[in-house]
Amino acid sequence: MIEFQELTRTYGDFTAVRPLSLQVRSGEVFGFLGPNGAGKTTTIRMMMGILVPSGGRALINGLDCHSQRAEVQRHVGYLPDNPIYYDFLRGREILQFVAEMHGMARREAAGHAVRMLADFGLEEVVDEFAVNYSMGMKKKLGLACALIHDPQVLILDEPINGLDPRAAREVQDRLRQAAASGKTIFMSTHLLDMAEKVCTRVGIIHRGELTATGTLEELRARVHQNASLEEVFLKVTDEEPAQADAP
Amino acid sequence: MNAGSGAAPLIRSTALLIRLRLRRLANQMTALSQGRKKPGDKARTGNPGKKSSKIILYLAWPLMLFVFGSISFTAITNLHGALDPPGSFWVTVEFSNALSIGVAYLLIVLWTASLLVTVASGELAKPEWDLEWLITLPVRSDTLLWARIAERSVVNPSGALALLPACTAIAWFSGYRWGAPLVGVLAAWPLLLLAALVRTLIDTGLRLRLRSAQLRNLHAVLSVLSIVLMYLSFSIGLKGKSEFMLGLAESMPGWLLYTPMGLTARMINERAFADAILLLLALLAEVGVITWLGVRLLRHVLRHGVVAGGAREGARTAPGVADTALAPDAPAAAGFPRITLSAVQRRELTLLRRDRNFLVQSLVLPLLIVGGQMLLGTSGAASTMWTNPNVLASVAFGLAAYSLSMSAFQTLNSEGQALWLLYTFPCSIEDVLKDKAKLWGVLTLAYPLGLFAVGALVTPSLDWKFLGAMLTALLGIPIYAFIAVALGVFGSNPLEQQQNQKVKPAYVYLYMSLSALYVYAIITPQPAQRLIFMVLSILLAAALWQKARDQLGFLLDPDASPPPRVSTSDGLIAVMLFFVSQAVAAAVIIGRGRVTGAAVLVAFSIGGAVTYALMRWVYARAKTEGVPRMLGEDASRPLLGVVAGLAAGAAGVLYLFSLDALDLLESALQASKSYANLGLWTLPLALIAAPVFEEFIFRGLIFGGLRRSFGVWPATLASAAIFAIVHPAFSIIPVFILGACAALVYERSRSLLAPMIVHAVYNGCVIGAQTFLL
Repeated sequence: MIEFQELTRTYGDFTAVRPLSLQVRSGEVFGFLGPNGAGKTTTIRMMMGILVPSGGRALINGLDCHSQRAEVQRHVGYLPDNPIYYDFLRGREILQFVAEMHGMARREAAGHAVRMLADFGLEEVVDEFAVNYSMGMKKKLGLACALIHDPQVLILDEPINGLDPRAAREVQDRLRQAAASGKTIFMSTHLLDMAEKVCTRVGIIHRGELTATGTLEELRARVHQNASLEEVFLKVTDEEPAQADAP
Repeated sequence: MNAGSGAAPLIRSTALLIRLRLRRLANQMTALSQGRKKPGDKARTGNPGKKSSKIILYLAWPLMLFVFGSISFTAITNLHGALDPPGSFWVTVEFSNALSIGVAYLLIVLWTASLLVTVASGELAKPEWDLEWLITLPVRSDTLLWARIAERSVVNPSGALALLPACTAIAWFSGYRWGAPLVGVLAAWPLLLLAALVRTLIDTGLRLRLRSAQLRNLHAVLSVLSIVLMYLSFSIGLKGKSEFMLGLAESMPGWLLYTPMGLTARMINERAFADAILLLLALLAEVGVITWLGVRLLRHVLRHGVVAGGAREGARTAPGVADTALAPDAPAAAGFPRITLSAVQRRELTLLRRDRNFLVQSLVLPLLIVGGQMLLGTSGAASTMWTNPNVLASVAFGLAAYSLSMSAFQTLNSEGQALWLLYTFPCSIEDVLKDKAKLWGVLTLAYPLGLFAVGALVTPSLDWKFLGAMLTALLGIPIYAFIAVALGVFGSNPLEQQQNQKVKPAYVYLYMSLSALYVYAIITPQPAQRLIFMVLSILLAAALWQKARDQLGFLLDPDASPPPRVSTSDGLIAVMLFFVSQAVAAAVIIGRGRVTGAAVLVAFSIGGAVTYALMRWVYARAKTEGVPRMLGEDASRPLLGVVAGLAAGAAGVLYLFSLDALDLLESALQASKSYANLGLWTLPLALIAAPVFEEFIFRGLIFGGLRRSFGVWPATLASAAIFAIVHPAFSIIPVFILGACAALVYERSRSLLAPMIVHAVYNGCVIGAQTFLL
């Protein structure tokens, strides 16, 4: 279970995330929607212990994401917005390294890594240096890294951003698979049709503030009966156009 | 290349490029100097940027120009001495033919060295930040090439450092006197243009031709060559070190006079105006033709697109080919179970094996640089190290310490942009850093072990002095591996794209000066001092490690920093402060008068009070957590203090008796003058002042600080060790026991009252025994 308690983040005078309180229950696929620069990545980085909250806290399975980061990571898989890997290491070696860091024995990790990469359709490039991968391959490798220890919670930052239609479909299928197996998924995106296809519940963040949460039906009801998620999104994020270029 | 249609855009785009570069440089400087945003400034800038090293940058330029200038002057004088017949008079402005060849040779060496240094300091395998972008601008690609070369001929720091002083020196000897710098700058420019051309050929042209693995290897070779050549070019200008290069100078052929460097030298030296103009024209023609041919070549290389296409294709094809080359070592790595290395350590070794540049930087360059320093330096270490084990051990330690600054210090930088991965693992980042510190602490032992093996063969007799120096050096290396990793946490910018911005120089200098401190431990003849320096180094390592550890949760956060907590480093600062303020107070009070008990007591108390007040004030201001308390929540355990004090006191008295029994007591007491007869003033000093102030510092800050990151026993032993070494040598053992007892009591009572009682009771016992029993 994921819980934010008044989670806040400022950079100097700029408030990236205003006090944010939210619960994501086990087994939910939560879509964290918002325009560019709304604070999605900042929030996710706070969940990963990469950024330190300026106030409040983020909890995963009741553990604090900053002070108990290492413990939290046992249960969490993470795919960043733009995964960057070590130079001079092959995809297979990176995945094996990640598996070993999650406590797997060396042989087991090696076998597991190769199987997983084959499963992700990367068997042809397992022996290429990962820095040379295309964006789609990098994201798939990142997803493999996030899933290798079979975590209960997946935190994904723009999982299909920049992927071609086929790769995007594959990733979405994997996410649905993961959700079906009972994992909690928290993902940020600004691709609305993806959110409509995969998410059970969404929250829309705008200028660092969570302006709407609920199931798709609940959000649609706010606008009108047959409103698309796009209309909801535009309505929720377009209330103060005058300040649009301030930050 | 049509000059008619290209000229105006060329000038314009060159000017734009230069402006862009200078603007970027200026932005970097202001980002450094501002540090924080102004209150009203809402613009999102890059990271606020942590300030450092700005002053060093400003000071470095004139200083380096001066140093290089003086080396150039000496180089020409040396060449004159070597090449011209003895007694031929120097002030004749005109160079002899032989000297002209020699000066041309000097310019060639300097030009090549500076070119290699420039190429090696960038990253060959990665395209430069602006190329991919610039090529999308509506400028013809050959215009862009010309503009780039022109821009690089102006913005080339190492080329300027090498060639401007040399040309200035030539102009000075040619009689230009104070006009020499101007002549030097103007005359050096054609050579800088050539350097820019070759540099562009190497980094833009080769990048498209070679695979990135080949580029890295080439880079590794070039960086080794650049260091060697740099030392060789320095050596021409150093007294007594120049024989090799001057010998080469004598055998240089005459056609060097017709190279651009030769023409430059002759042109500066030629005082007949018409001849100088002729030489200038010849030079310009030559440089022009070479540059034109070079640009043709570049255009040919770039005919299939400038950057993006080539770089990506190269990267695409690389793995397929590289695979077959690199595949065999993968199974070998898998079947390597003899030593159990952690996943992190194995990854680091894989990187070291594959990244030749990293290998060369961390393990080969230290040999070259330290070797070069020794051969060229004035210390004579190269000749004495085989006869003096202390010198040998210092050189061995220096080599390892330097290597650590390129490896262990770079721990975070070698994670680079992939640092995020560490945050996804269920283990602390500290453990990862520890693994790396251990790995490098062991790897760099290779230097001292190698040197000592040779030393053991060469040296006439293996004695205790040799073993002692060797052991000290060997023990220092793991300690400094940890110090390097800890300082590297503060001194590196892993997310920085630009290679030369990845390290903050101030922290490298700090690391270097701390390493130099340890060399003192190796060369000192007294074992006690050796021990003191080792204890200090270990404690320093612990303190820095703790500071770094506090920082780790905040590494990727651009502006949050850890909450202030009492740290071991505070304790070390307090110790220094205590001794300094005590000494100052004593100097003021006692002046030239006699040392009296009252004066000592007052000076001691002032020092203690100043330290206490300052530390408390700083802690209160920063709202620091974990400030030691005088009284604990539950009764403070005074009885425990008395019991432990009696135990420590008994040990102290026993020690006194055994010294007495061995007839060592008198000499020991005489050796330590601080125990001068202070009369009854000893009592308040020993029973009140010392316990109060020393317990605050040694138990409250140092033990308390250590305890935050370490177990009870390491913290107890380390805090007792530093407590012991600040006391007179003969009392080290009982004071160590006292320190350990007081630390344990503090651990139990969580307040300072109990350890103060321990301290007072111990002092009472020992003074009582000295007064009444001995």
